[in-house]
Amino acid sequence: MNISMNELNAALRRCFEATGYFVGNYEDAANMILWLEKHGLKGLEEFKRALPYIDADREKVLSSVVYEDRTSAIIDSQGRSALNCIAASVDLAHAKALENGIATITVHNCHNRKFILKALTDCGRRGISVVAYWQNGNSVVTEHTAAIKAGDRYPCYSEATTDLEMSEVDAQALTIICSSRVDLTSSLQQSKGNTQAIYLDSQQVAVNKAKTVELGIDIDPDLWAEINRLGTGILVSNSEQSRQGAGGR
Amino acid sequence: MTSPASIQTALRGEQALPLRPASQVMDLERLGALHQSRLSFMRTLVRRIMTERWQITPAVFQLDENGYGTVVYSVQAPHGLFSFVLFSDHLSPEERNDRVIATKWDLTMALVEGAVDEVYLEKLRQNVPKQEAGRVDSRVFVLSRANRSARNFDYVVDQLAQGKQPDVQKIAKVGYLYRTTAVYGSGKLGMADWEKVRSKHIDFARPFAGEMFVCLMLRNFSLIQAEHIARHRSAETFQPMAAEIKRYFGIGNSTGLGMAPYLVNHPLLINQWIEMRELALAKVRSLGYIGPKTKGLLLELIDRCENHTRETETEDEWQSNNNLTVVQDLQALKTYVEQSFSDWNDLLAWSEAHCSLQGQEMLVSIMLELYPELVDELEEFHNAEEFLDLDPLMPLQTLKSVIETRYNWALEIDFTAQGARETCWYRSEEKMEPRIGSAADLEAKDKQMALGVGYAVHKCYGLLCDYLKSHPEHTTARFMVANPKMRGIVRRIQSMNRCIYGDIQANLLDENVLPMHLLRCKLAFFGVSKFDPRSRLWVRNTMFQGAPLLDEIGQPFNDDWFMPLAPKQQGDAS
Repeated sequence: MNISMNELNAALRRCFEATGYFVGNYEDAANMILWLEKHGLKGLEEFKRALPYIDADREKVLSSVVYEDRTSAIIDSQGRSALNCIAASVDLAHAKALENGIATITVHNCHNRKFILKALTDCGRRGISVVAYWQNGNSVVTEHTAAIKAGDRYPCYSEATTDLEMSEVDAQALTIICSSRVDLTSSLQQSKGNTQAIYLDSQQVAVNKAKTVELGIDIDPDLWAEINRLGTGILVSNSEQSRQGAGGR
Repeated sequence: MTSPASIQTALRGEQALPLRPASQVMDLERLGALHQSRLSFMRTLVRRIMTERWQITPAVFQLDENGYGTVVYSVQAPHGLFSFVLFSDHLSPEERNDRVIATKWDLTMALVEGAVDEVYLEKLRQNVPKQEAGRVDSRVFVLSRANRSARNFDYVVDQLAQGKQPDVQKIAKVGYLYRTTAVYGSGKLGMADWEKVRSKHIDFARPFAGEMFVCLMLRNFSLIQAEHIARHRSAETFQPMAAEIKRYFGIGNSTGLGMAPYLVNHPLLINQWIEMRELALAKVRSLGYIGPKTKGLLLELIDRCENHTRETETEDEWQSNNNLTVVQDLQALKTYVEQSFSDWNDLLAWSEAHCSLQGQEMLVSIMLELYPELVDELEEFHNAEEFLDLDPLMPLQTLKSVIETRYNWALEIDFTAQGARETCWYRSEEKMEPRIGSAADLEAKDKQMALGVGYAVHKCYGLLCDYLKSHPEHTTARFMVANPKMRGIVRRIQSMNRCIYGDIQANLLDENVLPMHLLRCKLAFFGVSKFDPRSRLWVRNTMFQGAPLLDEIGQPFNDDWFMPLAPKQQGDAS
C-alpha cells in the first residue's frame, strides 16, 4: 500500500513513544527510518529487522563514555539500537570536531547502525563533514560506509558483501570521523573478496528522494498494521469521562 | 523590497526595529486575544487569487434539484492547474455531528493536482466521502468536509425561492450556510506531503494556503447550492441573492482541541508567524507616515471594528463580556485619537495602559490594515524549516544561562503547587482525538502527550544544575550522552533561543489552563472572525465573511474586507 511520509513519521513516533522511547528520541528514531526510506535506502526493511528487539532497549542501561580525550571518544551503547543512541554519539563527534577540527568516535555494542545516515546528513546540512564505517553479520560479513561533505544535503553510501570473518571487536562497532576543516568522502575499496558492491552517490540519493516526495512510500500492509498496532499503546481508552475532555461537539 | 536579509536586519542587531518583547507577546492570554489582520492566511490567499486573476470555472456540475451530486471546479493558477472536487450527499439530522468522530457529512471535498477525468473522479467518489475511513493518493493535497447550518440554509433557500432576500439581521446571527468540521492536509490519509506542496505547487506554497482555498471554495459552493435548490423549487418566483448579501456569508468553523497540540509541536513555525506580525507592527510604529488622511482612515477602521464587534453574537458569557469591553476600548480609543493622536508608539502605549488585551490587539490589527505597503510583502515569509537542531558544542554554563533568560517564566512556576500539574493532554483511542483530563486518571497521566514545555524545562534545569556541579566544563553533547531523556527539551531550548519570540509562555499542565487561547491564536493567523467559544475546549467562528466572490475575480479589487459589517438591507427584491 501507499502512504505519505507524514503518515509514516507520525505512526513511527507513536510506535516508539509506546515502546518507551524518551521525548526527543522517538522523533529521532522515526526520522531515521523515514530518512532512509525516503532516500531509497530501505529504511523499512532495516526497521523490520529491528522490530522484534525494539522493546528490549527499555530494560538496557544507557550508553556510556568509556574513554575520552580532546579529539576522540569510545562509547559503549550497551547493545542498544542505533535508533535510540546513535544521534548522541554523532553529536559528540560534531562537538569535538568543532572544537578541534577533527574527531573520531568509536561506538561499540550498537545495532541497526545504518540508521546513522540521517544523523550524518544533519551534520552535513550544518556545515560539518562526517564519514562512518561499520561491518555487519556473522556467517557472511558485509561492510558499509557513508559520508557527507560540509554543506551538502545528501550523503553517499556504499555497501558490499565480504569474505571477511567477523572479529569480536568489530561486531556491532561503528567508527565515526567528523571534521569541521576537512571534507571527508568514502567508498569501499575494490578489494579481493568484496562482492555485490553497491555505491549510491549523493546525486542518486537526491533522485530517490524526489521520487518519494512526488509519489509517497510503498509499504507492506502487514508492517504498516504492525507499526500502527504498536502505536495504539499511547492511546487512552474511551469513556464518557474521557469524552467530556474532548474539544468539539 | 522586503528580502530575507532586510528582515534579519529589521529583527536583529543595531538596525533592529522596536519589537515588542517576548515576555509580552508570547503570553498565552495575549495570544488568545489576537484578531485577524491583513497578514492572516485568508487575506493573503484572496489577495493572491484576485491580483493573479486565477481562473476558477466549473468543469462538472451535476446536482439534482435538492442540491445533491458532484461538482468539480477547474482552478487555473499561474503555476499550475488544479481541481476542486465536491460531493454533496443527503444527511439526516440525527447523523449530523460536528465532532471529529463523525462518519458522515453533508459535503465532502478534495483539492487535487491537475485535471480530473471520469476514472479518477470515480476513485475519489469511493474515498473522499469516507474521509478518515478512505484513502487517497498524492495527487490530492487537501481533504475536508462540512455540515449544513440547517436553520440558516433552509431559511435562505425559502427566501430565495419566494423571490425575497434573506434578512441580514438574521444572517448576522450565524453568518454562514455550512460549517466545516475538519480540513486535512500535509500527507494525511495518503495525501501529498507538505514537502511536495511547498516545492511543486507554488500557488499553494504558503502555510495552510490549500486548506484555506478549500474553505473559500466551500463558501462559494454554499451560495451556489442554495440558489440552485431555490431555483428548482420555484423557478417562477426565484430571485438570486444580492451580491452584497452573498459577500456577507462566510463559512462556519468549529475548532476543538485538535488544533492546540499543533502550536506546541511546531514552535519554529508559530514563532515565524509571530515574528512577521510583530515585525509588521514595528515597521508601522517606525515608518508609518501619519498624513492628513491617516487619522480619518484610522477613525473609520475603529468605527468598523466597533460595529463588527457589536454584530458578533455569542452565547458565551465570558466572550460576550470581552466583546463589550472591546467596544468600550474602541470608543475610548476613538476619543483619544480625536483629541491627541500624533504618534503610533504613543497610541500603542496608551492602549496598553487603558485597553483590554483584546482591545490592544485589535489596535495592532488596525495599524497593520492602514499600511499595506509596509506590511503585505511579509506574507511571503511565513514558512519555516522545522529543524529543532541540537547545538552540541554549547557549554553547559551557557545552556544554563539560556534557560535562565529565555525560560525564566518556566522557572518561576511552582510545579509543586496544587493544580500546577493537574491537566494532562492525551490521545483517545477514539480516532486518536486529542483530549484533556485529570492527572488523577492514571492511564491518561501515563500516556500524556509531551506538551508541558514549561515543566520539562523546569526539570531539565534542575538536572543540569546538579550535573554542572561535577562536570562544569562539559559541552551539551556530553550532557546528552549521559542524559538522553533530556534530548528533546534541550534541543528545543537551544533552537527556540535562536528565535526572537520562542516558546509560548504558559503552563499547559495547570488545572486552570484555557486551551481556547491556543485555538484562537491559530485561528487569528488563519483570519477567522466572530469567535464564539462553546466551552474552554472549543470555539466556533466564521471564515471568509466579507471576502470577494469568485465571480468578482478579474474585476477591480478593493482589498478591504477586514472586520466586515452587515450590509444595509435593501428590502425584499420582489
